Amino acid sequence: MILEALEREGVEYIFGYPGGANLPIYQHLHEHPKLKHILVRHEQGAAHMADGYARACGKPGVVFATSGPGALNLVTGLCTAYMDSVPMIAITGQVVSTQVGRDAFQESDVIGATSSVTKHSYLVTKIDQLPRVIHEAFHIATTGRPGPVLIDICKDVQQADAERVNTEYLEIPGYKLNGHVNLDGARQAAQALAGAERPVILAGHGVLLSHAERELMQLAEAAAAPVGTTLLGIGAFPVKHPLSLHMTGFMGTGWCLKAVQNADVLMMVGMRVDDRVTAKLSEFAPNVKTFIHVDIDESEMGKNVRPHIELVADARLALEAMVPQVTKVDAGRAKWLGQIDKWREEHPLRYKQSNGQLQPQDVLIDMYKRARSEAIIVADVGQNQIWAALWWNYDRPGLFINSGGSGTMGFALPAALGAKFGRPDLPVWCVAGEGGFVMTAQELSVAVEHQLDVKIVLLNNRSLGMVRQFQDDFYGGVRSQVDLTHMPDFVKLCEAYGLPAMRVDKFEDIAPSFDAAERTKGPFLIDFRIDPEANVYPIVPLGKGLGEFREAPEYA
Amino acid sequence: MLEIKRPSAVVSPHPAGTASRSGPTSPHGGEVNSPHPAGTASRSGPTSPHGGEVNRVRVLSLLVVDGQNTLTKVSGVIRRRGFHVRGISVGPSRQPGHSRITLQIDHGHAEADQVRKQLERLVEVVEVEDLTGDDVHNRELVVATVAASELDALLKRGAKVLSTGSDGTTVEFSGDADQVADFVNELARHGVVDVVRSGPVVMRKSE
Repeated sequence: MILEALEREGVEYIFGYPGGANLPIYQHLHEHPKLKHILVRHEQGAAHMADGYARACGKPGVVFATSGPGALNLVTGLCTAYMDSVPMIAITGQVVSTQVGRDAFQESDVIGATSSVTKHSYLVTKIDQLPRVIHEAFHIATTGRPGPVLIDICKDVQQADAERVNTEYLEIPGYKLNGHVNLDGARQAAQALAGAERPVILAGHGVLLSHAERELMQLAEAAAAPVGTTLLGIGAFPVKHPLSLHMTGFMGTGWCLKAVQNADVLMMVGMRVDDRVTAKLSEFAPNVKTFIHVDIDESEMGKNVRPHIELVADARLALEAMVPQVTKVDAGRAKWLGQIDKWREEHPLRYKQSNGQLQPQDVLIDMYKRARSEAIIVADVGQNQIWAALWWNYDRPGLFINSGGSGTMGFALPAALGAKFGRPDLPVWCVAGEGGFVMTAQELSVAVEHQLDVKIVLLNNRSLGMVRQFQDDFYGGVRSQVDLTHMPDFVKLCEAYGLPAMRVDKFEDIAPSFDAAERTKGPFLIDFRIDPEANVYPIVPLGKGLGEFREAPEYA
Repeated sequence: MLEIKRPSAVVSPHPAGTASRSGPTSPHGGEVNSPHPAGTASRSGPTSPHGGEVNRVRVLSLLVVDGQNTLTKVSGVIRRRGFHVRGISVGPSRQPGHSRITLQIDHGHAEADQVRKQLERLVEVVEVEDLTGDDVHNRELVVATVAASELDALLKRGAKVLSTGSDGTTVEFSGDADQVADFVNELARHGVVDVVRSGPVVMRKSE
C-alpha cells in the first residue's frame, strides 16, 4: 500500500534503515523493483542522502526509518532540509496504534520531536487515511516553499489491507500557496531598481528553487544592477559575469559587502535575510532608501528587514513580471559600476601561497580547472564550505550543495552520495574537513557497495578550523577543544572500507592526486594535509556590521 | 467563512527613503503596532525602550482543522518564535471538523504581524484573522464560589447564581476583560472560596 503509493508519486530511490516498527513495509519491498532502496549505515546518513539527492535532481528525497531511535536519528537531517527548503518525505514506523502512549519498546513521540523541523507531519493510525496522506505529503513537500514532510505510520496500519483510494483530488484548506504576482508591486520594484543611483540585487536559494536564473539575468542586465548571491544562492548568477558581486554575507567578498553597504536600493530575492547575510542587523545596508523583498513565504517579509516594497510570490514569476517594467535606467549607473570595479580591485580574494604549506585554495583551484562547470560539488560545514563557495567560479545553477541554514557538520559525504544517485551523469566531488567527515564516515560503505563515482576531497587541517579561527580572532586566541590530531589514518580507514585513497601534503602532488582520482572508477578519497593555520577571509567579526569585514593579510 | 485580505504584494505607505530613518526606533528591538516603518528590524522598534506604553498584544481568531496535533503545532510556533500567550480559548466552530481558537498574544521582539504570518504557515491553520484594534465583542467568563450570603453587589453587576451549597454560593459572570477584572475585584470582598476564569472569545461587531 505504502510502496504502491510511492511508485505512483514517481519515487525512484528510498534511503532507509529497517527496524521492528517498519518491518511490514520492508517485507514487500522486493515486490516493487522500480523502487531502489539504499541501505544506509545510520539514519542521519539517509536523511542527508535524500537531501543531496533532492538538491541535485529536484525530485523529493524519500527516507525510511523505524520508530524510536531510528526516527530520532533523522532529526538533524530533517532540520538541515527544513532550514534550506529541501523537499523530502520521511516515512517512519510507529508502534502499533493500540500501544501508542504506553511507552512501548522503541516508542517515541516522533511527531512532537520533529514538528519544529518539518514543513508538515502526519501520524497515521488508520489505513483509510494513508493514500490521502501520502499524496498530500508529496504535494506539500514539493510546492510553494519546499520542505520536509514526515509521515509516522503505526505498524498495524502498515500491514492492513485497503482498497485503492482515489487520490487525484486534493483538498488541504489550510495550505496556502502564494504564486500570483502583484503587477503593481512588480512595476514599482522594477522602477525603483532601475531608477536607483546605486542598486544591488541579492539572490538566494529561492531563485534556484524556482528556476529563475534566466529572469534574474534579464532583470540585472536590463537595470544594469549588480548581483550578489547568498551562500545557498550560489549558481543563481554566474560568478564571472561583469555584474556579479559573487557571495554576500559575513564571509562574502569585499566588493560585494562594499556594494551592499553603499547601495541605495537593495532587492532581495528568494532569501530569508538571516543573520549570516546581514551581520549586525542595525548596520546592515545603512544607505538603503528602498528595500525590496521578493519571497514566496509571506512570513519572511519583515521577519528581519522590513521592506518598502514586498512581493509575496514565486521568484521566477516576480522577476519575469519586473523585466518589461524596467524602462529608464539611472544616468549615474556607469559611475556606480565603476566604483564596484574599483572595490573589486582593492579587495580581491587572496590567500597565503608561499609558506611551503599546502593551501586549501590551491587544491580547490586545481579542482575547478578540471571540473569547470560540469561537476557538482558538495561541501561540508566550516572553513571547507566557505573556501569551496568562494574559490570556484560557479556559472551554472545547482552545482554547489551545502548545508547553509542549519550548518550541519557531517552533511557532505552522505549528501554527495545522494547527489550522485540523483545525477549519475555528472561528476560529484565531496569537499569536507576531517572533523565533519568522521561524523558520518560510516556511509563510505554505501559508496563502496554501489561503487558510486564520488571523489572525496578532505581538507585536513588537524583541527576544527572554523572554531579555531573564531577563537584566534574573536576569543583572544584561547584555543579550546579544537585539536584533532588524534584522527584515523584516512588512507588506512579507506582501505578498511574498501576504497582507494591517497595522502597529499605538497603543492606538487595536488595535480597527480587528482589525475589518480579521475582515472579511478568509483569512490576515491584524497587526504589533503593542508596548512593548519589557513583561514577564511574576508570575515566580519562577530557582532559587527558588514562594513567592518577583515581581509586576508597581504602576502609578499 | 471569514475572508482574509492578504494581497500578494504590499507597497509600504511610507515614501521610500524617509520611512526607515524616521520610524520609531529602539535599541532594544521590538516593534510598534502596524503600520510598520520599513528598514531593518532594530531600526523600527517600539517607541519606548522600556516597553511601558507599547501594546504588544495582538488579538487573533484562528480557524483550525481538528486534529491530534493542531494545538501542539500552534503552541509550538508560539514558543519557538518568542511569542507569549496572554489568553486563549478553544471551541468548536460552525464548520464541522474545524475549531475556533481565540488568542491574545504578545509578539515579543518580532514584528507584530509575524504572529499571524507564522501561524498562517501551519497546514493545520485554515485562516487567521487579526482583530487587534477592531470594534469587537470580547467576552470572558468567570465562575466563582463566595462565602458571603449578601450578594447584591455581584447580582447588580449581572452575576447569575448557579448553585448554593454549604461552602457558599456559586455565581457566574461574563463581560469584557475590564468588566471581568472589576468583577473579580468585587469578589474579593465576598470571601472567595474558589474562582475560575475562561480565556477570551472575540468576535468582530456586525456593521
